[in-house]
Amino acid sequence: MSRSLSRIMQSNHTRRELARRGAAFGVSAPLLAGFAGISPAEALAQDGGTVQLASYNSDPAPRARMEGAVELYNESSDYTIELNTTEHEAFKLAIRTYLASDDPPDVLTWFAGNRMRFFSSAGLLMPLDDLYAANGWEEAYPKGILAVSKGRDGSYYFAPTSYYHWAIWYRPSMFEELGLEIPQNWEQFLGLVDALSEAGKIPIAIGTLAPWTAAAWFDYFNMRVNSPEFHISLCDGEVPYNSPEVKAAFEPWRELLDRKAFLPQPEAYSWQDAVTPFAQGDAGLYLMGRFIVDQFPDELEDDLDFFRFPTITEGVPVGEDAPTDGFFAAVEASNPEGANDVLAFLGSAETQQWFVEQGGSPAVHQDVPLDIYDDITRKGVEMLQQSDLIAQFYDRDTHPEMASHGMAAFIEFWNNPDELDRILDELDEVRQRVYESES
Amino acid sequence: MAETTLPTRHTGVSGSTHKPLWRDAHRLTPYVFLILPVTLYSIWVIGPMFYSVWMSFTNSDGVTRQEFIGLDNYQRLFQDDIFWTSFFNNIKWLVSFITIPIVAGLGLALLLNNDLPGTRFFKAGFFSPMVVSSVVIGVIWSWMYQPFGLINEMLAALGRDGMPIGFLADPDLVTWSIIGAALWRQVGYVMLLYLAGLKNVDKTLVEASRVDGASSLRSFRDIVLPMLQPVTVIIVVISIIDALRSFDLVNIMTRGGPYNQSNVLAQMMYIEAFQNYNMGYGAAIAVVLALISIVFIFAYLRHMLKDEMEF
Repeated sequence: MSRSLSRIMQSNHTRRELARRGAAFGVSAPLLAGFAGISPAEALAQDGGTVQLASYNSDPAPRARMEGAVELYNESSDYTIELNTTEHEAFKLAIRTYLASDDPPDVLTWFAGNRMRFFSSAGLLMPLDDLYAANGWEEAYPKGILAVSKGRDGSYYFAPTSYYHWAIWYRPSMFEELGLEIPQNWEQFLGLVDALSEAGKIPIAIGTLAPWTAAAWFDYFNMRVNSPEFHISLCDGEVPYNSPEVKAAFEPWRELLDRKAFLPQPEAYSWQDAVTPFAQGDAGLYLMGRFIVDQFPDELEDDLDFFRFPTITEGVPVGEDAPTDGFFAAVEASNPEGANDVLAFLGSAETQQWFVEQGGSPAVHQDVPLDIYDDITRKGVEMLQQSDLIAQFYDRDTHPEMASHGMAAFIEFWNNPDELDRILDELDEVRQRVYESES
Repeated sequence: MAETTLPTRHTGVSGSTHKPLWRDAHRLTPYVFLILPVTLYSIWVIGPMFYSVWMSFTNSDGVTRQEFIGLDNYQRLFQDDIFWTSFFNNIKWLVSFITIPIVAGLGLALLLNNDLPGTRFFKAGFFSPMVVSSVVIGVIWSWMYQPFGLINEMLAALGRDGMPIGFLADPDLVTWSIIGAALWRQVGYVMLLYLAGLKNVDKTLVEASRVDGASSLRSFRDIVLPMLQPVTVIIVVISIIDALRSFDLVNIMTRGGPYNQSNVLAQMMYIEAFQNYNMGYGAAIAVVLALISIVFIFAYLRHMLKDEMEF
């Protein structure tokens, strides 16, 4: 075989033949590829054309739900959704490029609140006031959710679909075995931590490789020690970070650090890694959003429950973190009618109910009946309905650059609690710079 | 010294014909071939370089605004703690990359530069980390470095007591841990380059020195090492560039954490430009990074080439 090939290569005559054949192949191959390259979606598309949907749902369970919803839509609609999934963390960095490009995706997954307002204020998002009016969403969605779906100019830019609660998760079997009770206030919580340590468990599991898990603790300490309204003004850059109230919010955190209540060296673990000791019964508590259920092994899901973050200062209104996920449309979308149709589908009670039945987070639409939720989720929704204020979570409530410095500061405090004053002073310099350039 | 004149020919020797360049097809042809690559290179490589430098003098956020602000970004950069932490981390990377892979790579190359059975297997083995994607390397090493990962478990099995070592969590250890993973990969690459360089060392010279009574250490130091100089120049330049470009492992293993202690300029630039929406500031970091590379490479090349020209 190789001998004949080398003979071919040596012969001038045959070399020219090869070159000619090669050129012919080179010309025809792209044509063939072009024919083959028509995507099945376009081939089957009905009159409406395609709608590009960019999604960050890369973890297995959310991804399956997103793909299922796209299939449902494509079966019953004139338009066809083309779904592009990007890894969750990478999407958060790439979205700016997507939206600023000349041909952005039509519909994108994203978060409500200030993170969405960054783009709406830059004029990159399609206003959805007509969509809201046509579908009656102002009556169907809770007031707190409507507030975080509006841009700074008062128009709606965001179509929320689901929200989920944050709480402290625990294993009922462990509590029963050790005779522990749900804490109602901070002293009881410290007692719980001490009891878990004595029983040889790690009291609190956490993974801070991606530092937003530490920001959750800050949110709750700030909302419980000061007040939810104070927390929101801090996130809006109206209050200094080195004010006495903010320093006071770090006191209970300090108490936990002194007791070595957390999983050691959390920076080495992603939050998913840190679920392992929790699921294996080596750790007792985990402050996390409802999506920890997706990460938990299915066979152990019955032995998973939660309680509200305990009161610290008596009489303070109850604020909860309930990040709201949803979709928005790019103002430069190539298929705006299709985008609106897709958003209407995703915002409808039927679709949101379908998502919930597939194991998704609670739906925003109030027409979705509460009895379809499993016990855990219904408990969470009821907890949220009883709270006084819904916050979106630190890195969604505040400016992205502020959030990135803030979260690094929380980790620095975690490692050097004695340096708190310096850390907060430096953080406040960042706040002044970031919010000064905003105005 | 006798003057020798080359026979004049119609083609190729400049000044030998009286036709101007653009009329002379033979002399013109190479430049014509160059037009396309040079144009593409200017558009896709040179152009963006100048655009980045210009952007570093603006307050661009990549989306809405772009106003000229002069040297403000640089002023802010030199007062930024994170910049200095990243800068000194880059120095650690540079020093590690210039010393360890060269010594270890050369040692391995000398060991494996023979035809004994099994050397091919070891050559392939030492080089294989270079073939693996750096993302995969970052993920697997970060598992190995975990408090209950492979390395800590091995140390415990060997009898070490106490808290597991926080390779990626301890602010003092984290940069060195990531550099360790990077060196694991780089040594094989340098070994391969030295193997190629050793093939070019004339064996007869070494044998002649042995006949003259030189010890193997002497013949290595005075004959082999100088003949490896061209390869070493390339390796040092590549090591400098790779060390300053070290974004992938840092991003995967710690994202620059904990609280920016393992941050390097490339990672800082990425976060500032793409997460914090400070494109102008990110561009300034990129310019500083390029300047550091240029200074090091220029100094090194000048030192090396100065010696070469004396030959």
